[in-house]
Amino acid sequence: MIKFNNVSKVYDSNGVHALDNVSLNIEKGEFVFIVGSSGAGKSTFLKLIMREEMPSSGSIVINDMHLEKLPRRKVPYLRRTMGIVFQDFRLISKMTVYENVAFAMRCVGKRNDSIKKRVPYILELVGLADKANDHPSELSGGEQQRVSLARALVNNPALIIADEPTGNIDPEMSYEIIELLSEINKRGTTVLVVTHEHELVKSFGKRVITIDDGRVVSDTDDNRFVAI
Amino acid sequence: MSSFGYLIKEGFKNLVHNRLMTLASIGVLISCLVLTGSAVMLTVNVSNIVDSVGDTNVTKVFLDDSYTKLEAVYKGKELSQVANVSQVEFIDKDEAIQAYRDQLGDEVFANMSGDDNPLPYAYSVKMDDLSKYDDTVAKIKEVDGVASVSSHREVAEKLTNLSSFITTMSLWIILALAIISLFIISNTIRMTMFSHRFEISIMKSVGATNAFVRVPFIIEGVVIGLISAIIAIILLFVLSDAVINSVQKILDFKYTRFTEVMWPIIGSFVGAGVLVGSLGSMVSIRRFLTHEGNEILGW
Repeated sequence: MIKFNNVSKVYDSNGVHALDNVSLNIEKGEFVFIVGSSGAGKSTFLKLIMREEMPSSGSIVINDMHLEKLPRRKVPYLRRTMGIVFQDFRLISKMTVYENVAFAMRCVGKRNDSIKKRVPYILELVGLADKANDHPSELSGGEQQRVSLARALVNNPALIIADEPTGNIDPEMSYEIIELLSEINKRGTTVLVVTHEHELVKSFGKRVITIDDGRVVSDTDDNRFVAI
Repeated sequence: MSSFGYLIKEGFKNLVHNRLMTLASIGVLISCLVLTGSAVMLTVNVSNIVDSVGDTNVTKVFLDDSYTKLEAVYKGKELSQVANVSQVEFIDKDEAIQAYRDQLGDEVFANMSGDDNPLPYAYSVKMDDLSKYDDTVAKIKEVDGVASVSSHREVAEKLTNLSSFITTMSLWIILALAIISLFIISNTIRMTMFSHRFEISIMKSVGATNAFVRVPFIIEGVVIGLISAIIAIILLFVLSDAVINSVQKILDFKYTRFTEVMWPIIGSFVGAGVLVGSLGSMVSIRRFLTHEGNEILGW
């Protein structure tokens, strides 16, 4: 699903070594936390997965696509295989909840009749069926994040990437969001949650990859392997 | 609402969203088109005048006013013997005045028949070799009894020169205006894109192709082009009519009106408007999507 092979990233503009020789492997159906303090290289890691940036060296394979060989015009099709949840929700304030979710389907050229079937189903899944006609400003932070999640899910991606999904919401709501993600993971979607909240991560007992100063400093998956 | 309907709606929203830049783009594009149209109208009319004034090969030779008809007819032989003259044709002054009457109305020339006719007898003369024109005219003037030689050739030449000068001038101005309108349109659309960069970042994060992101902005450009073309067509129609009407009072002639050459002009205006509009938006989209519009995470 996600395969990093000796990946390094040096930004040309300021010479910062954001990632240093990172190798990791995330299989289909896994739920993984990527943990690290700010500036550790989490954002660069995500940008590389989304192919917003290219690695300076090493190779990346996402959903069977070799990113360093992927032509520019194919990038949108890579992104259709992943749903992204942002820390700041990124909802369009002029649109209702329904329209925000439908927007993601319009963008990939889905037809109206399939939008009409799919959006209510997804809103039901994230528990927002009764808020379909509300605008984002009328919702709590946790609800807005669920809309953002609904939008990420609506095109049925194989991989969900959540970038600090709990950064802007109450602690209780944070657990709900992670629960929801874990629910989605049980249905077969690979989930990748990037966060700096170590406490939250501990309580879920999932695989945790810790990044510090551009390197993978621990991976609970490896620990398990070593322990055996 | 299909995704295409959605895009068209977005394109129109963009237009209203930044009216000022839209108006600026439309204004410049209109001046560009109206100028082009005026140049076309001028060229068409001048070449018509030249054609009708002129069989430029014909030169009129006026005889001395005191000549009787018999004397005048006799002069023809002498004129035809001048070197390079191929053909001479006698012009009866009675017929000439009648021709004026027919063209301009009886009242004007009412008292000018018979002995009161102010016109002299004349010949129209054709030449073999027009490159020896000036020489030949000089020789004709030497013939006894020739009062003056007039040629429409000079008038025609001057008109043609003037028209081609104006055409060349307007070509440069049109070119400059076209570049300016491209620039303004692409900036207008760049501004819209900038104000929509949030939506664009979402579109790109869910995997919209660049082609899809582009569509509303190209529609915006095309609509700018179309509106400009329509206004320019109306302006040109009104303007050219007014100009022709006032020129008509000075120099009566059957001028070519806008309605007679309308369809090719309308066609090319709409074509040019759409072309400039879409080109302008394409330039800015390309720049935008490869630079600031390329960000998703760090929006």
